[in-house]
Amino acid sequence: MKPKHAGWLLAIVTVIGVVVLQRDVGIARDETVYFSAGKSYAAWWTGLVTFQHSPSSKGIDQTFGGALGGGANPEHPPLVKLASGLTHHWFYEELPILGEITAYRLPSAILHGVLVWLVFTFVLEVWGFAEALLGCACLILLPRALFHAGLDCFDAPIMTLWFATLFAYWRCLDGRKWPWQVGVAWGLALATKHTALLLPFAIAIHYAVIAWRARDPLHRWRVAVAMAIGGPLVLFVLWPWLWLDPIGHIRAWLQFHLTHVHYNFEYLGHNWNAPPFPWHVALVTTLFTVPTATLAAAATGFGVWLARWRAGARDPRAPVLLLVVSAAASIGPFFLGSTPIFGAEKHWMPILPTLCIAAGVGGVWAARRLASWIPTRIALGIVGGAITLAAATEVWASHPYALTWYSALAGGAPGGADLGMNRQFWGVAARGVLADLPRLGNGPVYAHDASPAWHWYAQLGLLPGGYNDSGPEVSGVAASKEALVIHELHFNRHDYLIWKAYNSVRPALVLRSAGVPIVSVYARPAPP
Amino acid sequence: MKKPLAAAPALLLVIVALWEIVETVRATRSVPDDVAWERAAQIVRGRFHPGELIVFAPGWADPIGRLHLGDLIPVETAARMDDAKFGTIWELSIRGAHAPDVAGLHADWEVGGDVEVRRFHQAAVEVVDDVLEHLAELKSDGVKPTLELAEVGFAPHRCLQLEPPDHGVVTMTVPMELGSTLVGYVGLADVFKRRNIRTPGTLEIRVGAASRIVTFGVDDGWVRFELPTSPGPGVVTFLASAISHERLICFAAEARR
Repeated sequence: MKPKHAGWLLAIVTVIGVVVLQRDVGIARDETVYFSAGKSYAAWWTGLVTFQHSPSSKGIDQTFGGALGGGANPEHPPLVKLASGLTHHWFYEELPILGEITAYRLPSAILHGVLVWLVFTFVLEVWGFAEALLGCACLILLPRALFHAGLDCFDAPIMTLWFATLFAYWRCLDGRKWPWQVGVAWGLALATKHTALLLPFAIAIHYAVIAWRARDPLHRWRVAVAMAIGGPLVLFVLWPWLWLDPIGHIRAWLQFHLTHVHYNFEYLGHNWNAPPFPWHVALVTTLFTVPTATLAAAATGFGVWLARWRAGARDPRAPVLLLVVSAAASIGPFFLGSTPIFGAEKHWMPILPTLCIAAGVGGVWAARRLASWIPTRIALGIVGGAITLAAATEVWASHPYALTWYSALAGGAPGGADLGMNRQFWGVAARGVLADLPRLGNGPVYAHDASPAWHWYAQLGLLPGGYNDSGPEVSGVAASKEALVIHELHFNRHDYLIWKAYNSVRPALVLRSAGVPIVSVYARPAPP
Repeated sequence: MKKPLAAAPALLLVIVALWEIVETVRATRSVPDDVAWERAAQIVRGRFHPGELIVFAPGWADPIGRLHLGDLIPVETAARMDDAKFGTIWELSIRGAHAPDVAGLHADWEVGGDVEVRRFHQAAVEVVDDVLEHLAELKSDGVKPTLELAEVGFAPHRCLQLEPPDHGVVTMTVPMELGSTLVGYVGLADVFKRRNIRTPGTLEIRVGAASRIVTFGVDDGWVRFELPTSPGPGVVTFLASAISHERLICFAAEARR
């Protein structure tokens, strides 16, 4: 097997791993929006390319438009939604080889495999096979990233397309005449999530440095032109909503995110829902959500890069600088204190390839220094194996409630709870109590944050008949026979609504992850 | 030639990785299971008397504690104003944590184990009267408060809750049997209203010649106030105000001997 084939193998293993693991993960409230949007986007495009309809303004507005924060989800670009709608159509409706939710989540899983392949290929070319292998092992075994890759959301896909843009840009610096690839990659990233708009900051810094090194301000100028033209063009083509009013709708899209509401988020024991946020949120959260051995290897890798740079090593395409400015552009805004912190590490996940590549370089460098003691292959096996096994253990501990998980550095999920780190979000954990509801009571259920997913659970057969969602807030609790509280600090008030209505503070069930409460189920006491 | 220092980075990485594996497995098993909780609950049930307070530590273990002993915790106790009127406090704790309710107290009885049980005694205050019992007699020149079980500072509190008009003041008078002191708490209810509107609320309390003005912001939680009072029948006046709408002012007060 050639070394480059290992990249394909790792990518396939990643996709299979993500697809298998996501089957245990509940439905995130945001996914329910993307499911329905994706289905209608896919139907619209399918109708267009099969000449069933023309691209009418009314049809586009109905399918892609509406109010931001509602409607057809126009506040997020369409690529991943469209892809999930298509895979749902192909692999669930047309050729039913996947479950319905898995079919929707397939594009995100595939893109995670693509990321692994891209990272492997890049590192193989720049540093070598061992570094590529260890870097990808670290990347695959990131518990939070693995979790997000299994959802029909944009956070894992933007990590892939962010890195794909970097990779394409880096490849296009070879002097090729038509570096269109970087434009297409950035366009796909833009069509995935608005955070792709941060990429030019990283690339501009890198471009300026290599142009300065080349003593040529127009060094590889075609790359910049390809990006400037190709990116917006691909975004425009893929997003029919922009066809109606390109400037107005782009302005509305960006305005929505620049003025986004600050969701409640617990960090170090405090509920944050308004700026200024602590400057260290991104730093501490990353330290607690990347396996510790991976972090240690990454720190070693950064040290190696720094030492080599100080020793005068210079690659004309400056791959390390590219990785560093990429990470800085992704995570930098979260040090400002004004950028929304909800969602935490998922919003700066594009730093993870940089961290994992550094871990690969650092781990392999450390192992090679053992050459005078033991054969290099054995040293690589011991060091790489230990780092990989540590990360795999963290994945084992995190599944399927990875949003509650924190690394050994934090003391695991219980340590994270002690530190007052965010417990979870999106209502995913409700899946874990569905099977117990018939045992605990009979009748409508106050589904709390799982309300948007409730009809999906019923449709999937995870809920028996008669356990419908009783509705929201006070009226929902009043109409319920059982009531869920998905534990987050700001959701405590839902416990109190239930205490008042049921005249009891005693839950009938407390679902836990590593001993930490994530969902309470109350059963309405029988009348005396 | 073998250089000992050359091996150090690799050894360090392997040690960190091995530590992580052990620590990760240990962490998943570091929280006591239901058997340990039930054992502790049985210990409490054997000695518990109605009117005593049961608390759990750390705070995130509260749902587990209520799962095992929630039947001994009335809603009114869980949503208490404070713990001063409880002469006996039971604490069930894990991971070496302590509940804030027992800070400064010394356990007079304890049983070790994965879930530690401690019993504390304190000189309970004698409550002469409670403003929450006088909602029917309360007079208001504006909106009348309602008796609620509200979230204030992410904790449950039974309180009188009202929303003063924008830049307005609501004056409420309550006839109460007074003791030597009036102790109360006030705060802003509803996390979403606290998020969306960041202005504070104000509560002025007047009893005879004494008065207090308490201003409480969105991050202040449940804010204590105290006034000296003369024992006997009296009238307590509460003036609630806010400079913006949707301030859910939530207050409670007890006349204490």
